Amino acid sequence: MSDYLLEMKTIVKEFSGVKALDGIDLKVRPGEVVGLCGENGAGKSTLMKVLSAVHPHGTWSGEIIWEGQPLEARTIRRTERAGIVIVHQELMLVPELSVAENIFLGREVASRGGVLDYEAMNAKASRLMADLKMSHVNVALPVSHYSGGILQLIEIAKALGKNAKLLILDEPTSALSQSETRTLLDLVRGLKDRNIACVYISHKLEEIEAICDTVAVIRDGQFIGQAPMAALTVDKIIHMMVGRELKEKYPREPHAIGEVVFDVRHVTCHDPINPDKKKVDDVSFTVRAGEILGIAGLVGAGRTEMASALFGHYKGPHSVDIHLDGRRIEVKTPQDAVSHGICMVPEDRKRHGIVPLLGIGQNITLAVLPRFARFGLIDEAAEFSVIGHEIDAMSIKTASPLLAITSLSGGNQQKAVVAKMLLPKPRVLILDEPTRGVDVGAKYEIYKLIYGLAKDGIAIVMMSSELPEVLGISDRVLVIGDGEVRGDFVNDGTLTQEKILTAALTKRRQAA
Amino acid sequence: MSTGGMQSFATIFSRYKILSLLFVIAVIWLLFGWLTDGYFLTPRNFSNLLRQMAITGMLAAGMVFVIISGEIDLSVGSLLGLLGGVAAILDVVYGFPVLATILTVLALGLMAGLFNGWWVAYRGVPSFMVGLAGLMAYRGVLLGITDGSTVAPVSPGLVLIGQAYLPRLAGDLLAGFVFLLVGVLIFRSRAKRRRYNLDVPPLWQDVLKLIGIGVVIAGFVIMLDEYRGIPIPVLVLGIVLGVFTLISRQTVFGRRVYSVGSNVEATRLSGVNVKVVKLAVFGLVGLMCAVAGLTTTARLAAGSVSAGNLGELDAIASCIIGGTSMRGGSGTVYGALIGALIMASLDNGMSMLGVETFWQMIVKGSILLLAVWVDIATSAKT
Repeated sequence: MSDYLLEMKTIVKEFSGVKALDGIDLKVRPGEVVGLCGENGAGKSTLMKVLSAVHPHGTWSGEIIWEGQPLEARTIRRTERAGIVIVHQELMLVPELSVAENIFLGREVASRGGVLDYEAMNAKASRLMADLKMSHVNVALPVSHYSGGILQLIEIAKALGKNAKLLILDEPTSALSQSETRTLLDLVRGLKDRNIACVYISHKLEEIEAICDTVAVIRDGQFIGQAPMAALTVDKIIHMMVGRELKEKYPREPHAIGEVVFDVRHVTCHDPINPDKKKVDDVSFTVRAGEILGIAGLVGAGRTEMASALFGHYKGPHSVDIHLDGRRIEVKTPQDAVSHGICMVPEDRKRHGIVPLLGIGQNITLAVLPRFARFGLIDEAAEFSVIGHEIDAMSIKTASPLLAITSLSGGNQQKAVVAKMLLPKPRVLILDEPTRGVDVGAKYEIYKLIYGLAKDGIAIVMMSSELPEVLGISDRVLVIGDGEVRGDFVNDGTLTQEKILTAALTKRRQAA
Repeated sequence: MSTGGMQSFATIFSRYKILSLLFVIAVIWLLFGWLTDGYFLTPRNFSNLLRQMAITGMLAAGMVFVIISGEIDLSVGSLLGLLGGVAAILDVVYGFPVLATILTVLALGLMAGLFNGWWVAYRGVPSFMVGLAGLMAYRGVLLGITDGSTVAPVSPGLVLIGQAYLPRLAGDLLAGFVFLLVGVLIFRSRAKRRRYNLDVPPLWQDVLKLIGIGVVIAGFVIMLDEYRGIPIPVLVLGIVLGVFTLISRQTVFGRRVYSVGSNVEATRLSGVNVKVVKLAVFGLVGLMCAVAGLTTTARLAAGSVSAGNLGELDAIASCIIGGTSMRGGSGTVYGALIGALIMASLDNGMSMLGVETFWQMIVKGSILLLAVWVDIATSAKT
């Protein structure tokens, strides 16, 4: 009766009262490639988690019709049996196991006694890889033998091995080089012949344009529309993705901008696992005293990698040339960075920001503890007076500095982490996603704080994937895409989200 | 009503882990006291018990820092044996003066600890493996340098540090001084908290705490005086307890040990040199191996090739029973020592009852498992 393989109807998903998805519709025909587009945090991943029952039936409202029947799956096993298979952005392969063992992980071919039948598995795995035109891969070798794009293809083979009728690819090319990307795109096109449908999630709109039959756009959890690619252009998709008006959420204050303080030349970071892939490719920029430089770019553009490299924290091959106040400095460890007056508020607060078992006060003084010590003995009186001052200055809402830092809300934890990184009196402050996981009110306070710091003459580098935030706060915006600089704009009021997004999505070297 | 009472009882116990540990000790002592017709609780046995726990306690006091920092050191038993053996050889074979022997062995202990720590911090070898390697290699060195035989007789000067007792008057004066010191510290911390507008606990609570500490100190000293005074190893352990508690609570290094154990990445990103912290932690435990090794040799009046065998396991068990988390980031020195006291009490009491060794091992193993489970079960709730 229905000519759709999948129909998702008015899907609503709430997280503790906040609507992450608010009435999303998505339709997929058999063998069709549907592009799913939206800004970071628009709800793409949440929608796919609803579809694959990571969020089981009952935790959301709406309806999923699969092959004409309602699908009320509570487990991922159930959706996989139905033929819905998701390939996550992060690869889920066990490096020590062979390609074939990975492909059959969890569904091993074995005799009744539980003894693995390697011949059968290897034969089937070879056939799957051959279907993907990857017959040169030796399925008996461990996965660690291969790298980059081949891993992504092994993941897809693993998904197809589950008899997928619908394959969900979440940013499959984010870790791939150009030629590997081309192979992958060919492969997705080839799925059509085998009547396998695909939901293709990507920030790279040229890929969407190249392989998708229809495109669905969501924004802030709202369904914007689904249309055939033939009726769309990349510009139209960008407009649908951005759409919203910029409200006065940003306490802009005039501040004086001084001399160049932070001069970064030729940052290059290689992927630690696949060194052929450059996560950051020869990025240079300068920041002046009191200037707020916003670094915009989509997820995977290389912002966090760059921030890590500037702070002596990048865990892979990289090179960087940093000048502070005109003098070249060596930054090999975070300790070097802090001692030179470069501080960073990291993106992942839980993993890199807070020390959970220490109190609020002890977290705040972590970076400057020796300052309060004589012969190694801490003068707690002096320490507490500074802590009290910081808690007031940052308006951290707490009953006592002795409480566990985990007792604070996300916004107040973030303020404590910022306070910690301000105590060393930095010349340069790198803020990586400073308002992630912070509610609206606390966001406003953090913005005010950033302006206060700029007024004090600190050079500020703010990485953010929220374009309104970048536009609302920055004096200048550096746009990064695929690891390279794709735009350097003065934020003089004429800069728009569309301009930034267009720059982020436009390959510079191809255009030339 | 009664459940409310139970709840506040439970919160007090989970807030002040020391109370529940002391409660466990009280139960064990009363039980053994009853089973041995009171003999377990005599001053003489009390003195023995403390001397027995001293060596494990010394190792545990160092080990607790290692575990708080998120690592483990399995080599301490063998290192104790080796350093004790070196002390005996220096004393017996080369006739070193006692002070020179002590200083040499302490320096060697520190160096061996730093060597272990270097592999962990700067070479990225998991501490479990470094410890296991040390466990085998240090014992091997000991067998090699002693030819597998006991080194004896140790000079009387060295024997003193293992077997002598502090004169009663000196012990009493020391106890009074410690009591005064604790009192001054408590009231100074009250004054400080008031100055910085922090919550000051009600006066009666601190007075009660002080009285409690006074009773414990007085009890200890009176019991020990009844026999022969404070044994030197117990005195050393007491000094270690005081100094290490100060290190863990009031020094930059101590704070960083907790910080590294709780979240090493966040600590590193705050500009702290976390490698040096780990290196120092292993140095500290190496130093404690030297102290424990000297004490062991002095107590036995000989260097024995089996000294410290399985000492690492007793030390780790003491830390864990005393409330140190294997996940790192939390634990106390006094907890580790109370853990050692619990272990020693079990050993001592069961031996006195003539319980066979295999039963002793089974009971100790079960207690360890139970202690960890209690820790996990209670921390999951809060």
